[in-house]
Amino acid sequence: MAEAEAGRAAIRRALRSLKRRHLAEEGAHSPAIEALTRPFAAHALEWKEKAEKHELELQQCYKAQSRLSEQLVTEIGEGKASKALLKEKEEMVTSLQAELEKTSEENVQLKQSLDEKTKALDLLIQEHQSVKAELEQALTKLKVAEDENQSLIDRWMLEKMKDAERLNEANAMYEEMVLKLKTAGVGGIQHNAQQEADGIIRRSEAGYMDTPIPSTCTITIRAHDGGCGSLMFEHNSDKLISGGQDQTVKIWGAYTGALTSTLHGVLGSVNDLAVTNDNKFVVAACSSNKLFVWEVNGGRPRHTLTGHTKNVSSVDASWVKSCVVASSSNDRTIKIWDLQTGFCKSTIMSASNPNSLAFIDGDIICSGHRDGNLRLWDIRSGKCTTQIAAHLDVTSVCVSRSKNFVLTSGRDNVHNLFDVRTLEVCGTFRATGNRVVGSWGKPCISPDDNCIAAGSSDGSVYIWSRLKNETPTILEGHSSPVLASAWCGLGPLATSDRNHIYIWS
Amino acid sequence: MAAAHEEAARRVWGGAVPLQVHLHDADVTAFPPPPPFLTLGPRIGYLPLLIPIIKAHFSNALPPGVDTVWFEYKGLPLKWYVPIGVLFDLLCAEPERPWNLIVHFRGYPSEILSPCEGEDSVKWSYMNSLKEATFIITGNSKSVMNMSQADQIALWEAVMKGNLDGFKNISTRLKLGPFEEDGLVRTASTERQRQQGSDEPESPGSGRPCRVPVRLYVRGVQEDLEDIEDALPVSDWESVSYINRPFEIRKVEGRSYITLEHALQTLLPEFFSSDAQNAEELDPAAGNSDTTDPSRSSQEADTTKKTKVKLIRVQGIELDMDIPFLWVANNLKNPEYYLHVCVYVGTRKQ
Repeated sequence: MAEAEAGRAAIRRALRSLKRRHLAEEGAHSPAIEALTRPFAAHALEWKEKAEKHELELQQCYKAQSRLSEQLVTEIGEGKASKALLKEKEEMVTSLQAELEKTSEENVQLKQSLDEKTKALDLLIQEHQSVKAELEQALTKLKVAEDENQSLIDRWMLEKMKDAERLNEANAMYEEMVLKLKTAGVGGIQHNAQQEADGIIRRSEAGYMDTPIPSTCTITIRAHDGGCGSLMFEHNSDKLISGGQDQTVKIWGAYTGALTSTLHGVLGSVNDLAVTNDNKFVVAACSSNKLFVWEVNGGRPRHTLTGHTKNVSSVDASWVKSCVVASSSNDRTIKIWDLQTGFCKSTIMSASNPNSLAFIDGDIICSGHRDGNLRLWDIRSGKCTTQIAAHLDVTSVCVSRSKNFVLTSGRDNVHNLFDVRTLEVCGTFRATGNRVVGSWGKPCISPDDNCIAAGSSDGSVYIWSRLKNETPTILEGHSSPVLASAWCGLGPLATSDRNHIYIWS
Repeated sequence: MAAAHEEAARRVWGGAVPLQVHLHDADVTAFPPPPPFLTLGPRIGYLPLLIPIIKAHFSNALPPGVDTVWFEYKGLPLKWYVPIGVLFDLLCAEPERPWNLIVHFRGYPSEILSPCEGEDSVKWSYMNSLKEATFIITGNSKSVMNMSQADQIALWEAVMKGNLDGFKNISTRLKLGPFEEDGLVRTASTERQRQQGSDEPESPGSGRPCRVPVRLYVRGVQEDLEDIEDALPVSDWESVSYINRPFEIRKVEGRSYITLEHALQTLLPEFFSSDAQNAEELDPAAGNSDTTDPSRSSQEADTTKKTKVKLIRVQGIELDMDIPFLWVANNLKNPEYYLHVCVYVGTRKQ
């Protein structure tokens, strides 16, 4: 154990010497070394910063000084300048004082003169006002005078207007008279005189007088653009009525070829025309499903007859009753109209399309149908009384003036003449070259029932004699297919093609 | 006693030599020459690790170009792989504080010193020493070889920064000790315990480390040296013998523990064994001369015993000869597990 003790003591000593070593080495030196290493760096930085700061301040000071010295220089200069100015000003003050005295004297003088002037001005103003009042009075007078003048002028103008109106009326009258004179023409007057000498009523009776077969074209009228589909003469008159595709109906003097009047208002083309027995109204059947009624005198439209649902193909007026009109349409109906009221009186249904119709008697009408039949109807009952096969397709029906014959034309280019009393064919007319123009071709019978005229698609008009079975007379002159024809009760024959109406005698 | 161990290790790790580093005249390019640089060199550290801060201090006065930096003391280039504390103990017979060193930035004496490439060389030198020590202690160096890269780096960092706790954390995993100390160091309770079970046979070889790695630096001084202060400075590494010897732990007859003296006798028989007896014979004369001072009696006994050995220095302190060697090995060892012992031996050669 003593050994152990010795060992422990040795260890203790070793530890002690370690401690001593520590104190001698790192313990003694480390604080000094640390103290040496650290602060120097810190101080150096601080000093550097300080030096920089001082340098900066110094620079600023220099700058400030230079600025101040500059200021001083400028201010000294300013001081000198202001001193000089002061001297000038003082001199000016003395001179100005002298001037002031002068001007104050002048002022007193001026004041006096001003007083005088103002007094004069007052006087002037008073005068001026009085003059002004006078002027106003004069002006009011002038105004009154002007007003009176105006009213006088107005009255005068009114009078003048009345005069002008009267003059206009007189002019119109004159014009009318001139026109009438023109339409009548010199020839017309002569013809009228002749007619009166012959006795017109007697002559107009059917079969009483012969109708000459026309041979030459007397008048050519350019009537309608686009086609003239229907022609009609007034009863016992030379007035020719034509209707065409140009939506107008025109009335002409047949002897002179002068246009008497034009009837407007049609919509669509005119397919057929009719004149009432008293020559008062013209009826036009139109492709616009309507019929238009005009007064012949004055040309005013009277009625528009509506009710058909398709193209109105044909129209005819009763020669017994003045106000009954029958029309046929492609809607397979025949309608009877009352012109007094403008209403449809009755409607007749047909099995086939009626292409054309005509009154035979007061209550009987005949109609040509597409199925080739000629039918007779009683308009009171609306029933078909007779049905005759006439053609393949009846395009036109025409009743003679004496009401004894019915002329039918068909697409078979044959014209049949029926006797109304027996309902038998009493004449068949055909010729090579005579071809019916579609559904437009409208042949006619002469007023004395002796001749039949039919237009052809080759532009010629064929005239057959009923009694003498000889070759037809051919009138040539049309340049395009002859569409319609009408024979005036007074003699002349009118035919139409696309644009022209030819009057033959 | 545990506190004492702890204290000893802390002192070893915290130990530092104050250094005053001068720039060598040949390297001075500034006027006036830069002032010397004062710093603390950790005893367990190595000189190359101080280079960065020294370089920074002298950066303004350095010549252009780069070369390996080296240190010199009194004409002797210092070996960089020897810890600073050992160099100081070995070369300064009488501690010189601060220690004046001369730093060179040019003319590396490659015929004397092994090449050094900065911190990495030092690190590898350290790791190699650690491996050697491990081999000596355990018989193989597996535990070091198997260390993870992260642990290696952490261990080196701890050594560089003198971080004892960080070092302990990693080094305990190497299982290198401590060496089982003799009854002397044990606490009273364990002593008693041991006394109760004294019949149990001692088995030092059973898994316990049984060899201690020791590095001995033997420096010859004049035999007739009166005071260690008068020792001639080392001019040449040839005059210093560098001895690596493991010490095998063996029970010594008639002693309860292994003394330092015994260990040194085993390790350096040429200086201790035969001459020791002579010394003992000569003892009375020397002893008589100094017996008046009782406090120095033990030291006197040491000196009388070894006529040849002038001084033994471990970690900057001189130890009593009867100090338990295993305590010394456990507590005064360097981080590479080597115990560095500086021995001053008187030689006849003058």
